Amino acid sequence: MMPKVSVKNLNMDYDNYVVMRNLSFDVQQGEIFLIIGQSGCGKSTLLKYLLGLKPVSHKKIFYDGKDINSMINLPGFYGEKIGVLYQGGALWSSMTLAENVALPLETYTSLNGKEIEEIVALKLSLVGLKGFENFYPSQISGGMQKRAGLARAIALDPEILFFDEPSAGLDSVSAKRLDDLILELKESFGITVVIVTHDLASIFAIGTRAIYLDIESKTITAMGTPHELLMSSNDKNIIAFLSRGTKIT
Amino acid sequence: MTGIAELKLGNETIAIISISGTWSIYEKHPHAEEFIETILSKPSIQRVDLKFVDLKSWDSALINFLIRILDSCKSKNLTIDIDNVPTGIRRLIELSKTSPVRTTSPVSQRKPTIFEFVGRVGLLVFFSLKTFLGFVGKLLTGIVFFVRGKVKIRSREFALMLQDVGVKALPIVFLISFLVGLIIAFVSVLQLSQFGANIYVADLVGIAMMREMGCIMTGIIMSGRTGAAFAATIGTMMVNDEVDALQTAGFSIINFLALPRVIALTLMMPLLCIFSSFIGILGGLCTAVSATDLTIVRYCTQTAKAVCLNDFFVGIVKSCFFGFFIAAIGCQKGLQCRHSAEDVGLTTTTAVVTSITAIIIMDAIFAVIFSLLGM
Ligand SMILES: Nc1ncnc2c1ncn2[C@@H]1O[C@H](COP(=O)(O)OP(=O)(O)O)[C@@H](O)[C@H]1O
Ligand SMILES: [Mg+2]
Repeated sequence: MMPKVSVKNLNMDYDNYVVMRNLSFDVQQGEIFLIIGQSGCGKSTLLKYLLGLKPVSHKKIFYDGKDINSMINLPGFYGEKIGVLYQGGALWSSMTLAENVALPLETYTSLNGKEIEEIVALKLSLVGLKGFENFYPSQISGGMQKRAGLARAIALDPEILFFDEPSAGLDSVSAKRLDDLILELKESFGITVVIVTHDLASIFAIGTRAIYLDIESKTITAMGTPHELLMSSNDKNIIAFLSRGTKIT
Repeated sequence: MTGIAELKLGNETIAIISISGTWSIYEKHPHAEEFIETILSKPSIQRVDLKFVDLKSWDSALINFLIRILDSCKSKNLTIDIDNVPTGIRRLIELSKTSPVRTTSPVSQRKPTIFEFVGRVGLLVFFSLKTFLGFVGKLLTGIVFFVRGKVKIRSREFALMLQDVGVKALPIVFLISFLVGLIIAFVSVLQLSQFGANIYVADLVGIAMMREMGCIMTGIIMSGRTGAAFAATIGTMMVNDEVDALQTAGFSIINFLALPRVIALTLMMPLLCIFSSFIGILGGLCTAVSATDLTIVRYCTQTAKAVCLNDFFVGIVKSCFFGFFIAAIGCQKGLQCRHSAEDVGLTTTTAVVTSITAIIIMDAIFAVIFSLLGM
């Protein structure tokens, strides 16, 4: 089967500073793919590359087998194909929550005002923010902003959802709810999910496959299900990363 | 009792450092340099022993002392025995050695020579001018598409923007322009009254306000007020990933963020400039009427005689350009903001300084152009 997202020998850098070298991996349709690693190793940077926010040479990143460079300028790539939840939610602060969710709908669909309103209400209630339509981002907590960001990310029912540290800054109940929601989206809509995270609980709860970005060797040092990573790896960094709080013998 | 370290020579080849007392960063304690120097000055020494006698308490001061000693011994290939070091201290020292070191630093630390500096500044100016021209090009394309109806601007936001850069700026423009008119008239009256030529105050104030002061003063006010606000808003949006979010929602950053701001300010600046010119003339009138024997009617007819349509036109053309560039510079600087709060402040400052400089330079260029055109 054609992988949904495919990365081939990608090098990442900022000007002269090398972040990662030689990354290659495939994300399959319908899986919850995790990008894990210590903070500062380049997870958010990798996400930037995957989203087409940093220029990348040809034949490095593919969506459904097509080069990202030929995709990003097509209408429908952003929004319909991919949706993103940023680390802090990244809601547009000059708009209410409803307007945030409605903006992509107004721009890309031919729905009328009433339908848009209904869909906005639906998406907000999916993330547990029913009744917050007319709040501005500054009037709600960080966790709620994040959930509203998710409502916006799924506004156009994308095929692939990207998350940058979804559970960072959430209390454990909200984090669990978010995990459940991600699972639900995957099960019912068949959405492919790519998550950058270092939250252990959700790594083991929802991840189908993971890659570990190693900050020292600056490349991927392990790939597999989270349990495989923990059990079969003999890299001390990975074991330390995945076994915090549990005793391993 | 403060921290004490004593250097003793065991025999020709061994140096012993005995450490005692209370080591604290808040109190006097020995510095590693002196010890290192003494040890290195005796080439016969092969080994350094650390002894801890009666060490009462310690903090980073001692850790730092020991690390310095250890490092310099290691680099000079002297044997040093750390078995005597108390366990807590040893663990901290080991910890400081194991954390990974980022070898490339984000900015080079070396101080550049004067030539390097001049060269760098030159290149920086060249490349920023180049990127800015690219940005202006994209904006102009956006404006063309907007005029032809291919790019839409959200009307509600645009109306708010117009209000913000136009109507809300009226009070401050009023105040500054009135005072500028007042001052020009006052200075003129002082000089002209010596020749009994008071009536020409009206000419001076009218022409100065219409041609120069009206657009320059509004330009400077709008740089500090609106240009700065654009840069700060967009810079903050960059920091919060809001700009990335716009892009990954499929919006063009130029069309969505910059275009409405640029169009709004380009439209509003001429209006503000006209307003400013008239208020300036009003200020002049107040001075003239109160300080000389001119009547209001005389002053007004004289102004009308002195100021021709050309002057009016010159002011308007200039202010259109000023408006465009103030907004463009504000937006572009905002979009260059890196991901930190500190950068937002820096960005805003740069935007204001750049646009005020640009205004003055453009005004000089326009002066030449208009005089060549005989206007
Ligand atoms: N704009 C930038 N310019 C230069 N270096 C950057 C920039 N953003 C991030 N970095 C560097 O790239 C590395 C990876 O950062 P990031 O991708 O944010 O890490 P993570 O998300 O895994 O915590 C870090 O070492 C960071 O210092
Ligand atoms: Mg990150």
